[in-house]
Amino acid sequence: MSLDRVGIIGIGQSEFRSRRDDASYPDLVREGVSRAMADAGLELDAVQAVVYSLSPDAMLGIGNAERLGVDAVGGRNKPFLRINTGGATGISSVAAAYYHVASGMFDVVMTAGADKIGECGDSQTVLNKIWDPSYERPLPLGTINMLAMSGVRYMQQYGMTEEDMALVTVKNRQHASLNPKAHLRKVVTVDEVMESRYISWPIKLLDCCPQSSGGAAIILASETFIRDNRLDAVWITGLSHTAETYWMGDRMGVNPTAEHSGAHALGRSFEKTYRQAGITDPAKQVHVAELYAPFSNTEFHAIDAARLVSKHGESIGRLRDGEFSIGGRIPVNPSGGTLCTNAIAVTAMARVAETALQVWGRAGAHQVKGAKLGIASGNGGDHQIFGTMVIEA
Amino acid sequence: MGMRVQPGVIGCAIRPVIATGARSLEEIMYDTAQAALADAGLTTDDIDGIVVASNDQFDGRAIAVMMASGSVGGVDRDILSTPSASEHAFIMGALRVASGQFRTQLVVSWSPTEVSSMPEAQRLGADPYFHRALPLDEMSAHALQASAVERSQPDARAAAAAVAEKNRTHGRLAWPDPVLQPAAGPLRWPIMPAMTSAPVTGSVAMVLAAPDFIAERGLTDVAWLRGMGWATEPSFLGDRDLATAPALVAAARQAYAAAGITDAATAFDLVEVTDATPYAELLAYEALSLCPRAEWAARSEDGSFARGGRLPVNLSGGVLTWNPVFCTGLIRIAEVANQIRGRAGTHQAAGVRNGLAQAGSGFAMQYQSAVVFSQEARS
Repeated sequence: MSLDRVGIIGIGQSEFRSRRDDASYPDLVREGVSRAMADAGLELDAVQAVVYSLSPDAMLGIGNAERLGVDAVGGRNKPFLRINTGGATGISSVAAAYYHVASGMFDVVMTAGADKIGECGDSQTVLNKIWDPSYERPLPLGTINMLAMSGVRYMQQYGMTEEDMALVTVKNRQHASLNPKAHLRKVVTVDEVMESRYISWPIKLLDCCPQSSGGAAIILASETFIRDNRLDAVWITGLSHTAETYWMGDRMGVNPTAEHSGAHALGRSFEKTYRQAGITDPAKQVHVAELYAPFSNTEFHAIDAARLVSKHGESIGRLRDGEFSIGGRIPVNPSGGTLCTNAIAVTAMARVAETALQVWGRAGAHQVKGAKLGIASGNGGDHQIFGTMVIEA
Repeated sequence: MGMRVQPGVIGCAIRPVIATGARSLEEIMYDTAQAALADAGLTTDDIDGIVVASNDQFDGRAIAVMMASGSVGGVDRDILSTPSASEHAFIMGALRVASGQFRTQLVVSWSPTEVSSMPEAQRLGADPYFHRALPLDEMSAHALQASAVERSQPDARAAAAAVAEKNRTHGRLAWPDPVLQPAAGPLRWPIMPAMTSAPVTGSVAMVLAAPDFIAERGLTDVAWLRGMGWATEPSFLGDRDLATAPALVAAARQAYAAAGITDAATAFDLVEVTDATPYAELLAYEALSLCPRAEWAARSEDGSFARGGRLPVNLSGGVLTWNPVFCTGLIRIAEVANQIRGRAGTHQAAGVRNGLAQAGSGFAMQYQSAVVFSQEARS
């Protein structure tokens, strides 16, 4: 079946910070919306439906907080629904908006959201509540020690060192220093990372993402609308999600369903997304990647899963060689990525937004020269629900 | 604009009340998903994608979709979650089939009752500065809406009482052994105990498929989706006229336009609406263009909307019979699909060819949806 393509016609992002005392939660949502509408050159009346991007309610302390954002997105008496897949929520929301348009029911759909993680107290206290209350919650698990366990296994299997992890932070901070919207923009050295305190071995403070506050929005439209209105756009040519088991113990036993050192379901999702986009050799065809990696060690298995290298673990040496830095073979997280900015509800949306800006040639100081095809990913739950996307100029 | 591919409902499992204690929540989700698949004659391997919906506060989990991986078959599958409303999971699943990129979708929602206080859990959904301190919960919001309706239509209370009695009568046929009980805790004026039912644990699942899949499998009991619409009102009650339901008017307009319906009052063989209170059902009559408010009392009392009447509404007994709070909207959609498919059980109506489901949720029905099904696929 011949389908109308779905394009991105507008992008809005806040400058992400620890606190935004000047803006209420709906104000932050509106900030992204206003910028996206201005970017698209449209008025809110043109938006026919809204997909609201919001991950755990508990981060805001308000149940179904999307209800408070209805006016901020201009959603009154319009089709409106919310998506939540944890950290993947932002890319899942873009996907949901994509299906709105691809269904043939709508020409212009917006997805938007915001988070105030920097003002929630302690996100790890909330994130402990994602696990089953009877079995894994009391360990106690958090997302940091969950991914520290992944890091330990990656070290054992592929020889990653703590210095390798530090190199990821150094690279992404260098990238973020070029991105005025990033939260952590201070350039750091390997020594500074190595000297930072342990949070959960082998993850140190500077291997961790920040708790950020800010909002984002993306406007999608049908190819027919884009052509009829002579709009500029970039195109979503592949997308999918894949989940793996909820249970951490099932990833680390004798016969794990999905080995916890890697990102099995992320790889499966990329397989489907590449197939849809007609990509057969991502290491040669992808020009830029925004891969969701909240801790330095997790960028390696994300690169492996995206098949930007030929085998698992090869990402370590390639990163040492600078292949994933701006100016390298395939820059990964030229925005600084999740490691430098994490307002959870829109973090994965920012991966899509930054990839779109790159292939559009509008990324500013962190632009990857000549990028025409990019990939984005989002991870949600306990490293469990993965969304992936291919975006092309 | 029409759907690129017309989805059909090929399987449903409605479990409006589940005795807690015997099965864990994950087992309940598994049982319900498997029952819907069995109803469709499919296995999990036939499912391309899944959409689930639940409420984190009711579930006591920060990201409730996570536990759906294993229990509803989400491992190695494309799974999304719409925690805004159970009915939104249906809409999302239908959009995915309509896009032409999925042949099948499993839609699942659940609503447990282990939470120590349902009103307290609901109160967390009120904004922390204004509404939460009132204190506002769903019953309070329903009562405020009922008051506004009574003020605009003085005979609404008599109509509401008749609606409640109608739905309880329907419920006795639909569920021969129900444990009918008024809502727990103090009610709010003018909501009377007989106008609500206590929360129960329940779940519901539906299977949607594309026409080529349905043809390939030779499936015949299909409820074809002819149109759907959904819309929201703002969250601040003070910004709303609670005596009206403009979001439902907007949702109905979308659904009817897609289905080509010009006279809703005569277009359907039956209707299911979310009667969290009978006042909500009355508002739905008007917003869905089934009956103007001036005729609410007369039509409610003359049996127009009762079994055997001009347009039966809530033959299932509605929420007034069983109230699994979060998933009542999706149950309404599944009930109409089952009626079209001839699989509604003891409350099956004869000759159902066209049906309408309305789903409402949130404080004073902030979210509104309308779904039109037909026995005939579009030509």
